Amino acid sequence: MGRIMASEMLKIKRKMILFLIFLGPIGVVALEACNFGLRYDYLTKVYKDDLWGGLINEASLLSIPTILIGLTIITSMIANIEHQTNAWKQLLALPISKTKVYTGKALLAFLLLILSCVVLAGGIIVLGLLLKFGVNIPFLYLLKMCFFPFLASLPFLALQIWLAITMKNQAIPLTVGIMGTIISMYSMNFPNWVPWKWPLLVNDLEKAVYSIVASIVIGLLLYLVSHLDFHRKEVR
Amino acid sequence: MSNYIIETEKLTKKYGARRVVHQVDLKVKKGEIYGFLGPNGAGKTTTIKMLLGLARPTKGSIHIFGKDMKKDKLAVLKKIGSLVEYPSYYGHLTAYENLEAVRILLDAPKSRIDEVLSIVRLTRDAKRPVKGFSLGMKQRLGIATALLGNPELLILDEPTNGLDPSGIIEIRELLKSMPKEHGITIVVSSHLLSEIDQMATQVGIISKGEMIFQDSIETLRKRSSSKIKLTVNDAQSAWRNLMSNGFKTDVVQNQLFVDSVTDEKIAEIVSSLVKNDYSIYRVEEEKKSLEEIFLELTGGEGSL
Repeated sequence: MGRIMASEMLKIKRKMILFLIFLGPIGVVALEACNFGLRYDYLTKVYKDDLWGGLINEASLLSIPTILIGLTIITSMIANIEHQTNAWKQLLALPISKTKVYTGKALLAFLLLILSCVVLAGGIIVLGLLLKFGVNIPFLYLLKMCFFPFLASLPFLALQIWLAITMKNQAIPLTVGIMGTIISMYSMNFPNWVPWKWPLLVNDLEKAVYSIVASIVIGLLLYLVSHLDFHRKEVR
Repeated sequence: MSNYIIETEKLTKKYGARRVVHQVDLKVKKGEIYGFLGPNGAGKTTTIKMLLGLARPTKGSIHIFGKDMKKDKLAVLKKIGSLVEYPSYYGHLTAYENLEAVRILLDAPKSRIDEVLSIVRLTRDAKRPVKGFSLGMKQRLGIATALLGNPELLILDEPTNGLDPSGIIEIRELLKSMPKEHGITIVVSSHLLSEIDQMATQVGIISKGEMIFQDSIETLRKRSSSKIKLTVNDAQSAWRNLMSNGFKTDVVQNQLFVDSVTDEKIAEIVSSLVKNDYSIYRVEEEKKSLEEIFLELTGGEGSL
């Protein structure tokens, strides 16, 4: 598996993928910098009890559509590396199991997006310090709000990597991903079982854990099913 | 244990109701260059995809190195290098990085990259992105990739497709040297008979999904029966004259044709013509070309 990952990392070189992985979170932080920069007096009054919490919440709200759009684009780009010259036939004729090939792609997308979350957390800390919110940073809350929305999006990651890898025409996975992002933005009042609501981390129990656990279970299930589908499919 | 490197039995592939490959018994011995020949769409690529485990046979079995492809796929693939149809490459990476991406997966030594680059003579272009390569260079890179893992068996599907004449010769010479130098067995497919004729030792001809000929290239050549063509001043009267003297010939377009006969017989015919004052312009042997045999075998629907 280590060799697969090393090969995958090499293949995304010069592909703008890493650039996008950084652009996403940095874009969110930059927008928040504008938000707080322009309405500094107003927002610091609204959040005067918990300045850090206010910043983290605002950033987290923006980060949810960014994650969903981001994972759509990243999975599509990762799959497209092989689609472009139909390198699948070369890759799958190597002595590597199809399971490993598929898992490698999915794992790469997962790790890259985790990296995005790390950058987001770092960016928020830097912004908070620049805004002079003090050094009393609520680290636990920050980590939760940076990583939980992504963990709650795992079914979408599994779905998108499946669509992107099994379909040569990337218009379909991209459309599905963008539609999903839009649905998720209006999902506040949906029933709790609707996956598009999970990244928002709100439900009746007022516990994010519910969304996360459901997401991980469904995500893994989708991954297993899609991997079997990939195994079954023949190379054109 | 059979002494075949590749042995398929009643290999069949159906896409829906369409039969693409039907009951193909492919047999390749060690050290051969096996030319896999057939018109476009005859099932060559599908057969090769099945050999590489990229497509699943509907029926039949494949044994490579004596191992069942169904059970020991990865162990078998470890010893195979392949190039299927047009080359696959990662355009944004350099030739070196392309090879490295595959080398990591094969766990081959790093020095092997420079070796294969020099075999296909791409050393000088190793640091350039592959998207700027000519088709011939991409094809050579594909062959280099196939050679990376030090394979014992090389399966190449149309390796000279889209190459210019010098590129074709280059690849042909490269392939011809391999069984001798490295003990590699090669399966190479093509729709061009001339291509196979110049490098293969064994030939398999597939048409409409069925194997219609499988033997050595010499056996195929032997099928090319020869005729003697005589060009004379008045073919019609010469023909009548020869007929009355007991020589059987045919007249086609003012030329006399004699089916393959002994040298003495030809000499008698010629001397008879000379005695009867016919002017003989030419006496030549006309061999049926391999191309014609191929067209005959494939029922004339071949594209050559």
